[in-house]
Amino acid sequence: MTAPEAGPAQKGSGSGSGAPREPGPLRLHGRSFPTGQLLVMAIVNRTPDSFYDAGETWDESAAMDRVHQVIAEGADIVDVGGVPAAPGQVVDVAEEIRRIVSFIAAIRATYQDVVISADTWRHEVARQACEAGADLINDSWGGWDGKLALVAAEGGAGLVCAHAGGLPPRTRPFRVSYADVMTDVLDRTQGLAAQAVAVGVDPASVVIDAAHDFGKNTWHSLEVTRRLGEMTATGWPVLASVSRKDFIGEALNLPIQERLAGTLATTTVCAWLGARIFRAHDVAKTRQALDMVSVIRGDQPPARVARGLA
Amino acid sequence: MIISAALCPAAPLLIPELNGAEPVLPELRQAARSAAGELVAADPGLLVVAGTGASTATWDRPARADLAAFAPGIDPGLTKADEAADEAGEQAGAGRAWASVLAVPARSGYEHGHERPGSLLVGNWLLDSVGYAGERLLTSVAMDEPAASCARIGAELAGLADRVALLVLADGSACRGSKAPGYLDHRSTGFDAAVERAVRTGDLGALLAIDAGLAAELKATGRAAWQLMAGALDGAGVASVVRYCDDPLGVAYLVASLRVAGVG
Repeated sequence: MTAPEAGPAQKGSGSGSGAPREPGPLRLHGRSFPTGQLLVMAIVNRTPDSFYDAGETWDESAAMDRVHQVIAEGADIVDVGGVPAAPGQVVDVAEEIRRIVSFIAAIRATYQDVVISADTWRHEVARQACEAGADLINDSWGGWDGKLALVAAEGGAGLVCAHAGGLPPRTRPFRVSYADVMTDVLDRTQGLAAQAVAVGVDPASVVIDAAHDFGKNTWHSLEVTRRLGEMTATGWPVLASVSRKDFIGEALNLPIQERLAGTLATTTVCAWLGARIFRAHDVAKTRQALDMVSVIRGDQPPARVARGLA
Repeated sequence: MIISAALCPAAPLLIPELNGAEPVLPELRQAARSAAGELVAADPGLLVVAGTGASTATWDRPARADLAAFAPGIDPGLTKADEAADEAGEQAGAGRAWASVLAVPARSGYEHGHERPGSLLVGNWLLDSVGYAGERLLTSVAMDEPAASCARIGAELAGLADRVALLVLADGSACRGSKAPGYLDHRSTGFDAAVERAVRTGDLGALLAIDAGLAAELKATGRAAWQLMAGALDGAGVASVVRYCDDPLGVAYLVASLRVAGVG
């Protein structure tokens, strides 16, 4: 998108995509996750240049160490990505496959039960990722590749349907505006979800994601956070991908390394508003924040209560 | 005839409400307000605000509610939206009359699917911020409007009244570093330098020769509006004062006053 005023190609009609769906269990890797269960999706980057870890897990053994650690810390899903969201060094299909496919196979060989997600927008990569053991395709770029959903369906995988406002992959928002950002989020994500089901993705394995910061300025990301309940009301499981992102940095005027508290606060708000999956760098602390929300809500009993009861 | 022009950025962040608690780039905002203030001080009979947009059109006055397109949920002042809408409605009549002279559509930002261009929100805010109360005409030129028709529209705008002042909202490339909105493109350096040179020397004809394809690749959103400005000032001797020229956020911002020789 080059035109600052062109904005997203598809303006929201406000009509959504029909009646809300009945919320139900999320099915991934043959496992069923009930509506009240809050899932942590741990970020594992196979990149030399992602914005937070900056190459920490570029080395394959370091990446596998990270997998061991996040699973021990309570991750339910491991999200493996080979291409940073920001523009930069070109990563073509062959290179992306080289970065993540054999690594996914290695995780599957070690952990039979964990849900594995491939963070890619490309159908060629998704196909091989599914063959290697991926259970979910995390398409942060909002259906840019029209063949992706079919590949997920053929591979028996679930699909994350995200809102990037129509921006091409690896581009930054530049003066984007929306008549109503949440209407656009609802229309696009529900539209992608319906398409995914139409080409054969199991409806119980489809997730929607507002994709904070993607095609959005900070005000837009704050708005979709504030109104996340409108997404969860659609009945589709909602993924919140907020960890250490720029809207948190701009809200608090803090660099990436100092955004954990802001991330956990945002995570908590999203959980309270009904999000079910949380993509995270800081797995142990995210798990703890979400457990606290579950306990407050009454979905999970407190760990140990004696205060005033002795 | 045209008596003066000012070139300012179209960056939404110039509008302070979009900044949050701490002002972003206050020096840039001050430079733009100075340029707008000089235009207003020349006591124009008509102040034309021109920027790039999705289409070529004249527009009614923005309401504060328009800020919501960039910053949903920010402003308790939005309760004033109805009042502003009434005011905008009054302005729409004038916009329509000019639109037929210019042979372009007259649009209202209240039509569904036709958001007012952000460049015009910025220009309208600038005029408000320096207390301009006179007549104003808001015009957009499409991103893909050819140079010749941009120049023609500019020339026609310049002839709409006895004393026309022109506020142009236009920016250079958005590719001036790896953190830039459009990421680093080394071609941006030469591209923006050529625009700066044309403005500094008053050789505005050079702006008409800008490669529109390259401008689009570099996300230089100002191309069509620069060319409108060149058409408006064609034949007038121009002396420029550059008030700001920098790229702190990866976008080439240029603020300048373009004074027409022989006009008091």
